[in-house]
Amino acid sequence: MSDSGQITLPPLTKASHASHCNRCLQGLPAGQIEVDASRVAIGFYSLGSLDLLGLLQSKTIDAEREAWRVWLWQQQASGSYGTGFKGSSYMTGHDRDPVVDYSEYDTPNLIMSYTSLLSLAILRDDLANLDRIGLIQFIKSCQRDDGSFSALPNGGESDLRCVYCAFTISSMLDDWSGIDLERSIAYIRRCESYEGGYGQAPYGEALGGTTYCALASLHLAPDSPTRLATWITPAHRARTIRWLMQNQGEDGGFSGRTNKISDACYCFWCGASLAILGLGEDVDSEALAGFISQCQFKFGGIAKAPEARPDPYHTYMSVAAMSVLPPSIPTDDWTLPPLDVLWNATKETVAWLRAHVTEAGIAAAHAS
Amino acid sequence: MSYLSSEDDVAPLLYCERPEWQDVTPISQYEAVSSPIAPIFYTPEYKDATNYFRGVVKTGETSERVLELTERIIRMNPAHYSAWQYRYRTLLATNAPLDVELKLMDQIAAHNMKTYQVWHHRRLLITQLTSASLAKDPVDTATAELEFIGNVLALDTKNYHTWSYRQWLLAHFDDAGLWLGELPYVDDLLLEDVRNNSAWHHRYFVVFGRGSRSQATPAEEGEVLQREIRYVKDKISVAPNNPSAWNYLRGILEYSNTPFSTLLPFTEPYTRAYVQPTDDVVDLDNPKPSSDATLPCVAALDFLAEAYVRAGGDGVGKAVELWKQLANEHDTMRKKYWEYRIKEALEGKTN
Ligand SMILES: [Zn+2]
Repeated sequence: MSDSGQITLPPLTKASHASHCNRCLQGLPAGQIEVDASRVAIGFYSLGSLDLLGLLQSKTIDAEREAWRVWLWQQQASGSYGTGFKGSSYMTGHDRDPVVDYSEYDTPNLIMSYTSLLSLAILRDDLANLDRIGLIQFIKSCQRDDGSFSALPNGGESDLRCVYCAFTISSMLDDWSGIDLERSIAYIRRCESYEGGYGQAPYGEALGGTTYCALASLHLAPDSPTRLATWITPAHRARTIRWLMQNQGEDGGFSGRTNKISDACYCFWCGASLAILGLGEDVDSEALAGFISQCQFKFGGIAKAPEARPDPYHTYMSVAAMSVLPPSIPTDDWTLPPLDVLWNATKETVAWLRAHVTEAGIAAAHAS
Repeated sequence: MSYLSSEDDVAPLLYCERPEWQDVTPISQYEAVSSPIAPIFYTPEYKDATNYFRGVVKTGETSERVLELTERIIRMNPAHYSAWQYRYRTLLATNAPLDVELKLMDQIAAHNMKTYQVWHHRRLLITQLTSASLAKDPVDTATAELEFIGNVLALDTKNYHTWSYRQWLLAHFDDAGLWLGELPYVDDLLLEDVRNNSAWHHRYFVVFGRGSRSQATPAEEGEVLQREIRYVKDKISVAPNNPSAWNYLRGILEYSNTPFSTLLPFTEPYTRAYVQPTDDVVDLDNPKPSSDATLPCVAALDFLAEAYVRAGGDGVGKAVELWKQLANEHDTMRKKYWEYRIKEALEGKTN
């Protein structure tokens, strides 16, 4: 039971979390080899944390940020499936061909394209190098017949996470021509489980992360203002809200599935889902902050649970959750800049991206 | 005899030291800048193997030694999806025996249950193995596969990838005999842990989801629904404070458009503050909470309020009373949520 009046919240140790993320940006030990193919995502979680903590400028130096931008652009590759970003240089040889950017075994990745765009915006890149037309073609290459998207254009995982990335990139570019929307929306709706949450794919068990992906996608879709209530009927909406609320545990954190233990990342996925549905204010945010505070690792970074090892993913998700659902008794150290809950980046970064990547934004910049 | 090769536990030679790999030109990784994002301090073995892998991909070689190379990389980094993709291509190109590959994967999967690629590779193998040209009996293969999945789930009964794979397998073969074995399997898992939500979810998948296609007449469907309602009531009576079971109950009632109010006689005892002394007549249709249950049960109060509000009329007032109890006494963490429910109901939004 929460008794928020009596709980004193330990401080959010921003500087130590920033140091953790900075260390990860500098390099990872061999034990982290499983992220070799997705270093771009590690970069996004680390840079995103620094952005939210307001410490990107002070904790990193110009030359580093410039090198990271150059490296990210190196991951943009064009070929028969269109243009997108690879998850890392792990398949890039020193003999790389300047004409043929990728082979069948080294294609760009949809999830990594989303995180690259956000990372470049966080680094305030002008995005002039972005191949917008190629990126739309790439999105098209990743859509499957059932309306879902896969991370790779030539096979592999196809699920709601990739649908979300396709929708968000289309929203960023303000160009939806790469998506067969009707099919995608039907797919998203097929992923809803009897519990009220959405599974990773149709018939899957309700899961916090993919519930966020489903809700955010449906809210981003261009005809959402007029059609949302038919995609999420009042009865379905009520069921989803109930399930999300039920996932907040006695310890204040959210679990990703019914009867699982709380995990810091689901504080964002479930909490942001509730915020999207207009119920952010109704979450017990003191208890939530209490849980996150317990997940702080003594040497910096935030872990999935108290006493666990921190990582950039759980650090970012925790801080993002605290931005969306701040404790109602604000204290200096728990105050964070506002987050765009659908794109999952600070509002300032989103504004930068919009101004530099949409045709309207670019035109406005040229006119002024 | 060199002393190196006589040792069993000696690390395998690096590819750059192996004469049989001399014809391959290794290609080192290109980073573009001296301080890239999150560089990994590779072990010499990983760096060496991936240098040769890039070399092999470049020439397009598909051969037995490529299988050895990709296996080595996958064992070091099971999330190396290029190695998986290239391995699968090589298996097909060399006509490698896929049942042998599957055996190897049994071992790799058990150690890397949380890696997506492991399960995706299995899907590809099983699909290929049971395609007409290879003339493997699909149901035999699927049966063996279900046994394998069961062994892996025994190590981690809630692994999302493994459950997704099991559900994919059942839907892919869609064989009545295979579906039939699933309920006893779920029963066993729920006897072991009645709070295993993945098992409850699987039950729904089998009975009302993808597996329900095999059911025929409405009468049979009605029987199945009654059987499931009895089943979940029994499970609730054993452990009332189990959201998985209540969610299942609500799910099947909604699926079948059965009014929640039909469950009022069952639910009410769970909403009281203590277990009522049992009378002589045991109502098998409405099993009572176990004597050690913590009451009232939040999920039961929630259910009862839902039943009232859906019934409309003076039910709204009764629901509001229950929500107030939840907000102020029994589920204070969700105080604002219950107050939101009250507000919505009073505004006439009953859903
Ligand atoms: Zn997590």
